[in-house]
Amino acid sequence: MSMVIEIENLTRKYGKGIGEVVAINEISLNIEYGEFTAIIGPSGSGKSTLLNLIGGLDKSDSGSVLLAGRDIAKMSGSQMSDFRRDRIGFIFQAYNLIPVLSAEENIEYIMLLQGIPSVKRKERVQEMLFLVGLEGLGHRRPSELSGGQQQRVAVARAMASKPEIILADEPTANLDSKTGMALLDMMRQLNEDQGVTFVFSTHDEMIMKRARRLIHLRDGLVALDERNSNATP
Amino acid sequence: MLMIRQAWRNIFRNIRRTVLTCTLIASSLIVIILVDTLINSMTGLMVKGITETIEGEAQIYHSGFRDQYDPELYISDPKSIISKLDSDDEIKTYASRVIVPSMIGSSYNSDGVVLYGVDAEKESNTSRLQSAIIEGDYLSGSDRELLLGRLIAEKLEVGIGDRIVITSSEINTNQMIQELFRVSGIVQFGPKELDEGFAFINLSTAQRIFNIGEGVHQIAIRFNNPELANSPDLDIYKTLPSDTLEVKGWLALQPGLGAMLEMTGLSTLIMGTILFILASLGVVNSIFMSIYERTYELAVSKAIGTRPSGIASLVLLEGLFLALISCFFGIIITFILGIFLQESGLSLGVMEFSGVAFPDNIPVKLTLDQYVNFPFYVVLLTLVAAIYPAIFAARIVPAQAVQKAL
Ligand SMILES: Nc1ncnc2c1ncn2[C@@H]1O[C@H](COP(=O)(O)OP(=O)(O)O)[C@@H](O)[C@H]1O
Ligand SMILES: [Mg+2]
Repeated sequence: MSMVIEIENLTRKYGKGIGEVVAINEISLNIEYGEFTAIIGPSGSGKSTLLNLIGGLDKSDSGSVLLAGRDIAKMSGSQMSDFRRDRIGFIFQAYNLIPVLSAEENIEYIMLLQGIPSVKRKERVQEMLFLVGLEGLGHRRPSELSGGQQQRVAVARAMASKPEIILADEPTANLDSKTGMALLDMMRQLNEDQGVTFVFSTHDEMIMKRARRLIHLRDGLVALDERNSNATP
Repeated sequence: MLMIRQAWRNIFRNIRRTVLTCTLIASSLIVIILVDTLINSMTGLMVKGITETIEGEAQIYHSGFRDQYDPELYISDPKSIISKLDSDDEIKTYASRVIVPSMIGSSYNSDGVVLYGVDAEKESNTSRLQSAIIEGDYLSGSDRELLLGRLIAEKLEVGIGDRIVITSSEINTNQMIQELFRVSGIVQFGPKELDEGFAFINLSTAQRIFNIGEGVHQIAIRFNNPELANSPDLDIYKTLPSDTLEVKGWLALQPGLGAMLEMTGLSTLIMGTILFILASLGVVNSIFMSIYERTYELAVSKAIGTRPSGIASLVLLEGLFLALISCFFGIIITFILGIFLQESGLSLGVMEFSGVAFPDNIPVKLTLDQYVNFPFYVVLLTLVAAIYPAIFAARIVPAQAVQKAL
């Protein structure tokens, strides 16, 4: 199996001297194409820091992250922008969408950055809306959508650019558990049907049961890396 | 297109702030256009006051005459010049004059004046002399007529029909001459120096009593297009001047006026600059506020792959829209004010400045280039003001911004 992410001896520290916090402590791990992986751990364990490092939003102090075989530390600012645009999908905890743009425009936005022609963009927008179950709601502004619907649009946007991997930092944290569960089920459906690789973080027990691989973080270290063979469907 | 839509919608997210910012920019635009217009009108009046009252838009005279007004420096044979002026298309009118400082006396008093010998008909087209008559009649051409400034008439305690004695000396021989005149009209130009220091007789009379034949001291000229008065390309400036003849436009004749015009131009520039800097600070502030409010949103945009330059462009575009909206309303309001002012004029009360009396209603006229140039500068300066916030926004670090906000 080929690796979408190869992490080696990755370390990220905040602060200096007595106040120094080692958020990620010499972590090494790989993620394969097509995985549906959860990074779990209590608040402050380093989940966001790890996802930011993988996505090239943050720079490590030592160690390396290879994304689709390329070392992200060696890229310039705008190279990194383009890399993120084409290879990585991001979903944050909340407020993922540009408020002045409609759901459709938000999805279109990233394809516009990619320079995809208009007709193709519009087609794909509708396709994405259908996949996340929001057909017919594309013209709505984010403020006219529920929290769960907003996160679905964020998923649609993340997928629209056909990235190698989608990184989701606690995507369900701002949703009630039923909505969160539905979002996760949808993500897993996309993973199974479309082959989209997901890595998401959570500290919710119910949510983590949906994952097929669980990476337990504790104080910046991988405490446990397990296959969840009885992942709930 | 999406970015344009995004920028446009962004500036209406906080309508109150946008209204305030646009009001600030638009008011600066309106103020600077009106001030510029007012200053243009005033300087225009000032120039006209000088060129149309007596001086003309250009003058021809014997070299050196204007330095001391030495009567000996006269053009002894103006015929060839006159025929050139007659055939020049650019020239609307001209008036030949004999100018001699003289003593003027009545039975009660006496004083020094500058005595002008003028061609009654030509003078009435060239200067304001005829329209300045407030009592009595204009020159008809007969020998003993004399027009007197109102203030000197008061000083001499004379009225229409009273006798006046001019004492001077013949120009070539320096022989003393004395001539008797009767006041036929009283003139009032406005400026004190003119009304207390000038007297006018017929040109032929002056040429006879000073014994200079056809000679004249000065030919004052008005052009068909006064704007061109100082253009060195004019025929008269190129062909007429010689060792003994000087031909000059009003700007060269009145260096003080030129300096003053430059000063007013400079002061408009300074005022405009200060105004626009203040407005720009307002713009910078308002754009910064809008960036701070959506740091998270901009960070997400960057995280998903918008380049720093894309973020900067968005902010600049928003600045551009602010400027365009401001100019749109600024121009409309200025236009309405302009129509109003054009009809009513601007009343600043009666004023006299640099020897020119302003009418108490200054006519105000807005020109097309004001509607084009100033808004252009406003747009340009607003964009310049937006550069700093744009760079700031482009440098937002996604990871930090996202973490801070949650
Ligand atoms: N910008 C920062 N400055 C200083 N410390 C930070 C910063 N970001 C995260 N940390 C610290 O790093 C550790 C890991 O944080 P984080 O990755 O946000 O954890 P999680 O997402 O699992 O809650 C925590 O101890 C946190 O306090
Ligand atoms: Mg976190």
